[in-house]
Amino acid sequence: MKQDIDKLLSRYYAGETTLDEEKQLRAFFSHPEQVPTYLQQHAPLFQYVTTAQLQQSPIDITARLEQKQEPRQLGKVRQLTSWSLRLAAGVTLLLIGFASGYVYTRWAASLSVNAELASSDQPEAASMKKVLAFDAKSQTSASDRIQAVNQSYALDGADREITQLLINTLNFDANVNVRLAACQALLRFEQEEGVREALIQSLRIQKDPNVQLTLIDALVAIKEKRAATDMQWLARNQQVLEVVRLKAEAGVGALTNPSQSPS
Amino acid sequence: MDLHAFKQRILPVQNRLFRLATMFLRNREDAEDALQDVMLRLWSNRQQLDAYQSVEALAVQMTKNLCLDRLKAHARQKPVDNADLSSVASSQLSPYRQTELIDSASQMHRLIDELPDVQKLVLHLRDVEEYSFDEIEQITGLSLNSIRVNLSRARQRLRDGYLKVTNYETGH
Repeated sequence: MKQDIDKLLSRYYAGETTLDEEKQLRAFFSHPEQVPTYLQQHAPLFQYVTTAQLQQSPIDITARLEQKQEPRQLGKVRQLTSWSLRLAAGVTLLLIGFASGYVYTRWAASLSVNAELASSDQPEAASMKKVLAFDAKSQTSASDRIQAVNQSYALDGADREITQLLINTLNFDANVNVRLAACQALLRFEQEEGVREALIQSLRIQKDPNVQLTLIDALVAIKEKRAATDMQWLARNQQVLEVVRLKAEAGVGALTNPSQSPS
Repeated sequence: MDLHAFKQRILPVQNRLFRLATMFLRNREDAEDALQDVMLRLWSNRQQLDAYQSVEALAVQMTKNLCLDRLKAHARQKPVDNADLSSVASSQLSPYRQTELIDSASQMHRLIDELPDVQKLVLHLRDVEEYSFDEIEQITGLSLNSIRVNLSRARQRLRDGYLKVTNYETGH
């Protein structure tokens, strides 16, 4: 027996024992009191192995796994829905893309149609009317209105509506510069009916010397003799600046003299 | 693979995996942790398990890799609690002898700990788990020859190491 053990041991350390032989060895060394002293040095390894073989894993892992099973299956279902959700989301995105493209093209088309309509109706006139409209004055700035007045230069001919608008601007705009611009613009439409009369009337309405001077110049330039009486009134008006009075007198002279000289 | 089939095929391996993890990690809690990780991984990959030749070999490999990864991740190692060692030292023995046995067991643990990972693994698979060489070949991917060599070296090293320690102690 002991020789057997010796043989087995040497083969064991050479790694040549079979599983059965190793079992024998372990069985032999599992009783420490039976092991001869000269073999004691080999005992701990076999004892270690025997001990290690007895170790059992805690059982609760199975239970934990079983607990995990339900959520796992739920997860699987969720995965499926998330796939279909992804698909649905993709399709929805595509649809939104197509729809927005369709809407955009329609919108762009309607816009170009509008633009065509507007251009046939002289856009400058339209926007000018919009800006100079009496009730819009509080919302527009002076420069806006000057720009609108200047747009009238782009017009070939003015209708009654536009000249009336300019006259209103000339007489009632709060800003001097706008009034000046309107005055200059109106000079282009001197042939239109009511424009000359409006300029003459405006002589009495205007209080600002700049506009008064411009008006006098303008009336002299277009040789409007009917303005002479108003200019004389201006020349005699003590509330008016002296420069304007002198200018008015000169204007009266200019308007009356050339007409007197030929007659 | 449903839960029933999974239980039938994997759960018998559970104890082996746990022992392997304990051997590597030297700590019961860590080993439990590792085992649970391996089980969960196996469970979540249960659809592919049928494709493997041996689920057991796969499980052992997974456990080994996981343990080695964890050892690498944190080099700290706590000593295993040796509470169940008293079961070996049968109650008839004197307390002195019992202490000696426990002492020799802890020496053995330390010596095994110092082995290279391959030797450790081969020794464990062969001696503790009693795998045949074919199975060890399948698990480790080593050739039969190198398995024998590793096994032999591991056993000799443990014997020599233990002898050295005891001689050193008795020499004093």
